[in-house]
Amino acid sequence: MPFLSRHPLESKVDSGSSIRAVDHLEIPRSVEIVTVLSRQTDNATVIAGFAPAGDLVMRNVAPGEWLVLSHTDLPDSLQRRLAGLLTDIADVVDQSEGRVLLRLSGPNARRILAKGVAIDLDPSAFAVGQSANLRCGHVAVNFARSGENEFELVVFRSFTESLFEDLLVMGREFDLSYGFSSGLADPV
Amino acid sequence: MASLIHCPHCGVRPKEEFTVRGDASVVRPDPEASDEAWHEYVHIRANPRGRTREHWQHVFGCRRFLVVERDTVTHEVYGVSDGSDVARGGGR
Repeated sequence: MPFLSRHPLESKVDSGSSIRAVDHLEIPRSVEIVTVLSRQTDNATVIAGFAPAGDLVMRNVAPGEWLVLSHTDLPDSLQRRLAGLLTDIADVVDQSEGRVLLRLSGPNARRILAKGVAIDLDPSAFAVGQSANLRCGHVAVNFARSGENEFELVVFRSFTESLFEDLLVMGREFDLSYGFSSGLADPV
Repeated sequence: MASLIHCPHCGVRPKEEFTVRGDASVVRPDPEASDEAWHEYVHIRANPRGRTREHWQHVFGCRRFLVVERDTVTHEVYGVSDGSDVARGGGR
């Protein structure tokens, strides 16, 4: 019998908000996520070995550790692809069922996140494309700025509901709307 | 307690993201050292006033062990470095 994965927010989100507000919390349904782990001293080698796979997004976790996201790969293929690129340099482990991606965008995204995140969210301090692990409320997340007013949070599957509820409370004053989308590729 | 720690990997973060793992200045004795030396190393800790060196783990961030040098009176942080660098440099 094939393994059927169910999104952890399936019952909570349903069809999402009826009206999409300017500030929106988007939950892409299918995102491939893998961790890449290498020796700290191999940092530059991994980044160089990673270069040919141009369409992937690399997120910093720690020295020698990354999360890699893909919106085009099918299950398992991202891991196989990366393992091929990084043979003998790094370990690649599929995390797609273990992590969930949430994307918060809108003119008030920074003000919403500032309620839970203790870093400076000004673009001069946290630029577009930058990423790090940090604490949002009481949950550890991988946090990235994907646009001027767009942020992506990667969270452990079992913490997703808790973080989702926190984000809705944080966004209530701005009428934050939410809903599923099919993947990273189509942010509408 | 010092409230902002400059993690060398993640940047400036609040102390809530860290766990303090104790004194970083004690040196593990030789395996053949006397019982007194081991007792001293395992159990006896000073409660210093002023400048101290401690192991802090950035559990909500990079999860690395850091050595934080701070002042217990003024809360001033003098320096933060990665634990492995400190160990490699023989500063342990």
